[in-house]
Amino acid sequence: MQISSLQAAAAKALVAESVRKAYGATVALQHADITLEGGEVHAVLGENGAGKSTLVRILTGATAPDAGSIHIHGEPYRPHSIEDARTHGVATAFQELSLVPNLTVAQNLLLPHLSRGIAGMVSGRRNIERAAQILAEHKLGRLDPRVDVSTLPLADRQRLEIVRALKNAGSVLILDEPTASLAETDWLFEQIERATERNVAVLYISHRLSEVREICRSATVLRNGATIASVSLTEATDGDIFEMMVGKKVREELSGEGRSRASGETRLKVSNLSGGTVEEVSFDLKAGEVLGIAALEGQGQRDVFRMLAGLERVDGGSVELDGKPYVAHSPRAALKAGSGVAYLPEERKTEGILAGMTAASNVVLPILGKVGFPAIVNDRVEFRMAKDAGERVDMAPRYLGFAIGDLSGGNQQKALIARVLATGARTLLLFDPTRGVDVGTKASIYAAIRAFTDEGGSVLFYSSELPELVQLADRCMVLYGGQIAATYPRDQIDEQRLVTAMTGHVDARERAAS
Amino acid sequence: MSNETATLSQTGDTRKAARIKRETVSTVAIAIICVVLLYLSRFISPALGSWSQVETVLILGSFLVVVAFGQGLVILTGGLDLSIPALITLGGVLSTTAVGAGNPDAWFLLPAALLACGFVGFLSAVGVVWLRVPPFIMTMAMSIIVASAALGITKGTPRGYAPDAAVALMKSHILGLPSPIVFVIGFVFLGWLLQERSPLGRYLYAIGTNAEASRIAGVPVTAMQIFPYVISAMCAGFAGFMLVGYSSGATLRMGDDYLLPSIAAVVIGGSSILGGQGSFLGTVGGAFLLTILGTIISAIGLEFGLRTIIEGTIILIALLLLREELFNRIRSIRRKA
Repeated sequence: MQISSLQAAAAKALVAESVRKAYGATVALQHADITLEGGEVHAVLGENGAGKSTLVRILTGATAPDAGSIHIHGEPYRPHSIEDARTHGVATAFQELSLVPNLTVAQNLLLPHLSRGIAGMVSGRRNIERAAQILAEHKLGRLDPRVDVSTLPLADRQRLEIVRALKNAGSVLILDEPTASLAETDWLFEQIERATERNVAVLYISHRLSEVREICRSATVLRNGATIASVSLTEATDGDIFEMMVGKKVREELSGEGRSRASGETRLKVSNLSGGTVEEVSFDLKAGEVLGIAALEGQGQRDVFRMLAGLERVDGGSVELDGKPYVAHSPRAALKAGSGVAYLPEERKTEGILAGMTAASNVVLPILGKVGFPAIVNDRVEFRMAKDAGERVDMAPRYLGFAIGDLSGGNQQKALIARVLATGARTLLLFDPTRGVDVGTKASIYAAIRAFTDEGGSVLFYSSELPELVQLADRCMVLYGGQIAATYPRDQIDEQRLVTAMTGHVDARERAAS
Repeated sequence: MSNETATLSQTGDTRKAARIKRETVSTVAIAIICVVLLYLSRFISPALGSWSQVETVLILGSFLVVVAFGQGLVILTGGLDLSIPALITLGGVLSTTAVGAGNPDAWFLLPAALLACGFVGFLSAVGVVWLRVPPFIMTMAMSIIVASAALGITKGTPRGYAPDAAVALMKSHILGLPSPIVFVIGFVFLGWLLQERSPLGRYLYAIGTNAEASRIAGVPVTAMQIFPYVISAMCAGFAGFMLVGYSSGATLRMGDDYLLPSIAAVVIGGSSILGGQGSFLGTVGGAFLLTILGTIISAIGLEFGLRTIIEGTIILIALLLLREELFNRIRSIRRKA
């Protein structure tokens, strides 16, 4: 009996039971169980803050669990470093790529096991040959192993990260959001299939359910740091999975009701704006309006936002705010100009949050100057100032006292949106405000944006997710190659049209219509 | 088999925000260490551990508290000020030559001397913020320039004598307490208000955490990066004025002993040398801890070289002990209890 169960355990590539991990007061993972069979692709699903990243960190040896057991092919597994995990055949392609930018492709692939030549010195030629061979095996022969990684486009860096993990994965391969920077999945799925053919178990983490369904057989759903269920993906419907991810409270608001239609006078008038990759862009943003921007990566949307926010130089054209000339040399100047312009940046971690400070401090930072004299600022004052804005984004007040870095991505994003709302600016520039947040948070953010425009606020809104634009935008512009390719009124916004225009195929008839 | 392998408790997120801040723990820890050390020192030498030693420590530590405040602000924003010794000397020399000897009655000369120091700090800040010279290099360069200028102007021997105001500040009594102690209490209170309880202080923490994110959030980043260097230079200049009052004269090397202690006080006090973390009260504790160690070591009467070695070792040990991990451990023990 015992022997047979041991054999059964040995057949499993990886078994983790009751894994627990707390960071200080924060319990990131309270009870995670997961089982991977050799040769299977297994998804881990969950909202932001469900514990996926922590689970990955534990399996890769980046952090040690507080409790629980992990076995690999029946052997106890307790890695104390990423390198140690690799010697056990567990390799990871990280979401935040772990390549060293100023080393070459070859060095990144082979480290820390570079070939030695005479007198133990690192042999350049042999390493390059080995790297070229590895790249060719993984259908990346077009990459030159001698160039620095920093010169590669993001997508190739991600592929390189994946290849390195594939090379080191003897029994378990962990892919954390592997398609974040990949436009197409064919290459990735082919590589995954080759890995499963040699009986490697693949742990696949992704927000994109359609992609998960394509490549994975089964999935483990995490919620609030605990395993809710392991399911076969052929049997579970999307609805089942969403319900397991978010609990019973799947929101109905996502269907996009309650839209405001009454747009007021022109708030922001942009005429022939040029700068960065943007050429001669003109548009109006009205009071009470959500103006969407749809575009593929790098079509100038970032420049438009950063110019309006005072972060980038304007080369030409003019902007009026409430009929008066608007020139902002800094985000602070943008906030102070007229009725105010507030910017929500793209990168939450590097441009948004101040990790060591509390969520309340993060929210009220731009309005601290308004506390008045004597200007005493302490946690209580900040909490009081932040509470209203927090409520507007549906953020539980108790989170305001947390260091923002300890909160989940969704709550961090809520705090940042609370920050721009708290500034009192009547124009918000929201750059991909729901990037990487879960369904529930999305609903809260949509509601906050709606409430803001209902009170006459104006929102310029870029999103990488088309359904979001369809649902939220009163008008939608499509940027292509630094210019406005098309503008659609509310009733003409659909994904098909947007995609066509985003790829540069605007119908001449439609252009005339818009 | 793989279906529904585990359905577990669905408890929601029940985390609580940390009740006690890391900074509070480190400040209290240092205060306790200071008191214990003072008490234990009576077993080392009968001259120690008395109230008069406490007074001596508070008076000797006051110079370090003043310079460490400026250094702390600079470090908080992610910089470093190596020009402190030169500015102490500048403050001291200006006090004796311009204020003390020349025009004892001209009240505006002391503020003018401090402004001159502040201007030097401003130049450092311009180099760091606009010309993007690393703070380390920029402040060191300023330090060499200022020290050389002081040497040139005084021809090696600073003349003049301590101004009456400086002597009054350092040598009189207020309500039975030595006046420098009263002064340092007031200084600590004001410094604490500025760093921990004002919008300006919050801006400095924000910039030290992430300057680019602070700029996007609407913080006046450039001004707030210049400000600490100016304050640090003025603090150092004022410490020079205090030293002149205490020792009745200026020397060209009067600031030399304060550079490393000013940095050590900040870091021992729980601040991150990378910026964005720490508290002024911790720094004050660090300054007094270093001063207590200094008095104990000199009371033992060791050779100078040996003294320095022991001092360095103790600073290193203190740093290792007072690192962040320790506080996390204390907090997690509290939680289990």
